[in-house]
Amino acid sequence: MASVKDRNASAWLLPPVPGTNRAMRTDMAQFRDEEEVDIAIVGCGAGGSTLLQRLARAGWKAVALDAGPFWDPERDWVSDEAGSHHLYWTEPRIISGDDPVPLGSNNSGRGVGGSMVHYAGYTPRFHPSDFHTYSADGVGADWPLEYGDLKSYYEDIEGELPVAGEHWPWGDPHSYPHSPHPVSGNGELFLRGALASGITAKVGPVAISNGRFGNRPHCIYRGFCLQGCKVNAKASPLITHIPDALHHGAEVRADSMVTRIEIDDKTGKATGVHYIRHGRARFQRARIVAVAGYSIETPRLLLNSACKRFPEGLCNDFDQVGRYLMVQGAPQTAGRFESEVRMWKAPPPEVSSEDFYETDPSKPYKRGFSIQTVSPLPITWAEHVAAQGHWGGKLREYMTDYVHWACLGALCEFLPQAENRVTLASEKDRNSMPVAHFHYSQCDNDRQLMQAAQGAMEKILHGAGAEEVITIRRFAHLVGGARMAADEQHGVVDADCRSFAVPNLYITDGSVLPTQGSANPALTIMAVAARAADRLIAGGASKPT
Amino acid sequence: MTVLPLDPKDGGGRFPGIDVQGQSPHWDRVTQGVVLARLGRPTDLRFFTVAEEAAARALFDQLLDQRQEPRVPVVNMVDTRLAEDQTDGWHYDDMEPDPAAWRSTLAELDAEARERHERAFAELSWEKQALLLTDIQAAEMWRGRQTSRVWSLWTRYACTAFYSHPLAWDEIGFAGPAYPRGYKNLGLNAREPFEVADARPAQDPAAHTAKSQTGRQR
Ligand SMILES: Cc1cc2nc3c(=O)[nH]c(=O)nc-3n(C[C@H](O)[C@H](O)[C@H](O)COP(=O)(O)OP(=O)(O)OC[C@H]3O[C@@H](n4cnc5c(N)ncnc54)[C@H](O)[C@@H]3O)c2cc1C
Ligand code: SF4
Repeated sequence: MASVKDRNASAWLLPPVPGTNRAMRTDMAQFRDEEEVDIAIVGCGAGGSTLLQRLARAGWKAVALDAGPFWDPERDWVSDEAGSHHLYWTEPRIISGDDPVPLGSNNSGRGVGGSMVHYAGYTPRFHPSDFHTYSADGVGADWPLEYGDLKSYYEDIEGELPVAGEHWPWGDPHSYPHSPHPVSGNGELFLRGALASGITAKVGPVAISNGRFGNRPHCIYRGFCLQGCKVNAKASPLITHIPDALHHGAEVRADSMVTRIEIDDKTGKATGVHYIRHGRARFQRARIVAVAGYSIETPRLLLNSACKRFPEGLCNDFDQVGRYLMVQGAPQTAGRFESEVRMWKAPPPEVSSEDFYETDPSKPYKRGFSIQTVSPLPITWAEHVAAQGHWGGKLREYMTDYVHWACLGALCEFLPQAENRVTLASEKDRNSMPVAHFHYSQCDNDRQLMQAAQGAMEKILHGAGAEEVITIRRFAHLVGGARMAADEQHGVVDADCRSFAVPNLYITDGSVLPTQGSANPALTIMAVAARAADRLIAGGASKPT
Repeated sequence: MTVLPLDPKDGGGRFPGIDVQGQSPHWDRVTQGVVLARLGRPTDLRFFTVAEEAAARALFDQLLDQRQEPRVPVVNMVDTRLAEDQTDGWHYDDMEPDPAAWRSTLAELDAEARERHERAFAELSWEKQALLLTDIQAAEMWRGRQTSRVWSLWTRYACTAFYSHPLAWDEIGFAGPAYPRGYKNLGLNAREPFEVADARPAQDPAAHTAKSQTGRQR
């Protein structure tokens, strides 16, 4: 394998101090709207940026449009929780169902880098079993590809982020390019409690470089990873893929909200994207269009691109668009220790266990969950405490005890269900585009997993010496909504992320995932996008001019 | 040095001498600007009407147990967010978007107070206000809405404002922004020179409650 620098020089293109390489942005390519670019990518997050970087390297004329800003970490991000509100997608959205999923800060991102700007930084792989849960367990779905098809892409991306962690014994056992980071009080207690209760826990895997990596500085363990890493230590596409893409002639067009994909009624092919920039409606012509706007915005854009050929929404002949949207059950359980834990020090992602990941035949439920450290800052911790019903003096008193609490989070593999979906509401946003309505209800298996995960976390915390434990039930990580499948009656795209309905339309973000495992999704989203890029370059789609 | 009033039995004074603001020279300039702005004169109200302001003040005082000055100016902070439509964007299909939901739930709070005591919520005694809120929180439905959704709206905005304030950080032993300095001493009972030890580590608020509690995010 070529060295990381030879494949992706992003870390070497950054300045040797925190900040941005401004010249790269001012000198960036600028394609004209009338010019037919090889590809227009909607969304510059995990999936979109990876695709952009790969295609730019292959010499494609590629532009990625993002609705949000082109972040300048030094100027735009702060070491403060409330001051980071602008990192989230805060355009209107409606939620419903038996278990509506709050969005905003917890489930969305905007701007160049996407949700990875404020993701925690855990980057586990999916397990081989994730790719055929239906055949094995009769739940979920089978992917049109297997783990082996993604393995080399996992390795590539792990090198590019890069990922730090201990040797990983679960799933397909593997090692990481960087050694594990030192852990804080929270990680220490997880390791101690796991040992006491016979559970295996390991440090990692986190996309925070540990040691020299190009010009990226070392982590300073300041704990504000979910507010955007000002240091450039935590990986996000803004620093791991965009610099290399720009260096190879790509354009990133920020502040550009794509509202519709244009389809030629005669040929049935996409001709470009309508977007709004600085208040003006514009149209970028493109030979190929790829959508990578996150699991809510991607289906919304497809549905809003209805036309004569696709009256029910683009690629929606079989009523698949927006369906099988998934969210992981993400309960967090905190335990109280007489020692001072100060869990907010060091990155929240530190230690994980995948001991409960696979189906356990002795249990009444299928599939499983993982457990990781999470380390809420004061506002998020107040939400955890308030969820117990505390307010007034009791809330204040609990909060003064903050230094004594350690907190774990689980990710439960909730199952994909057809009725969990995005549709268009009658309410409109400021671009007059109908807003997304996200309907979500859990199934019985989901609820059992949530309960089991809480039990396991309580056991670990008690094992570490906690007297009391308090849990907040919550959700994290949306994927699905335009899933890949073997055929167009069961999904929207094929294994190469090409839509069944429109030969030059691709979807390359988390929306294409048919199942989610109990792994955080970003690494898999990037690996799937990198694979799609390879197929495009190899000529799965017609060659660039 | 300003300290928020909090009875020691409620956890007041656990971190004697802590001074988050005093650390501000160690923060980067953008963060200084954002955080220190919270210490200046509270913004004038633009969103809440006079009646809403009265109800909101009383509600926030109750939710955060702020009985006397100095207070974190929660009502001004929430007002600014709502005036600027700085919401999280999403709303439940059976609730209005946050700004409208704030107006209507505050009006309902006053209506409830009038039905029970023939006065607006803000005109009730502290005890009567607290009782009324206790009743609301305990009910499944409140005036045609799922209580948990109303309660979450109120507490989310209240907590986000209060726990973004350096005086609240002093109270809970949180040292605030940490860039570019970072932390050097990780691990149990490890502290940076600028962190202050809890003076009463045995004051466990959970000690006399159920050993395991569960709630959910709304
Ligand atoms: C608080 C939090 C913590 C997380 N922690 C982790 C973690 O530890 N590990 C992990 O693996 N994952 C984590 N995630 C999830 C992870 O960040 C996402 O799953 C991943 O980034 C999704 O990738 P994506 O390509 O689908 O979308 P995104 O990365 O969100 O990118 C979508 C982009 O598209 C843009 N966009 C959307 N619509 C349009 C449009 N119409 N026109 C133009 N642009 C548009 C958006 O602005 C955005 O930049 C976390 C997420 C959150 C919110
Ligand atoms: S803890 Fe490390 S990775 Fe996280 S934000 Fe701080 S410097 Fe970046």
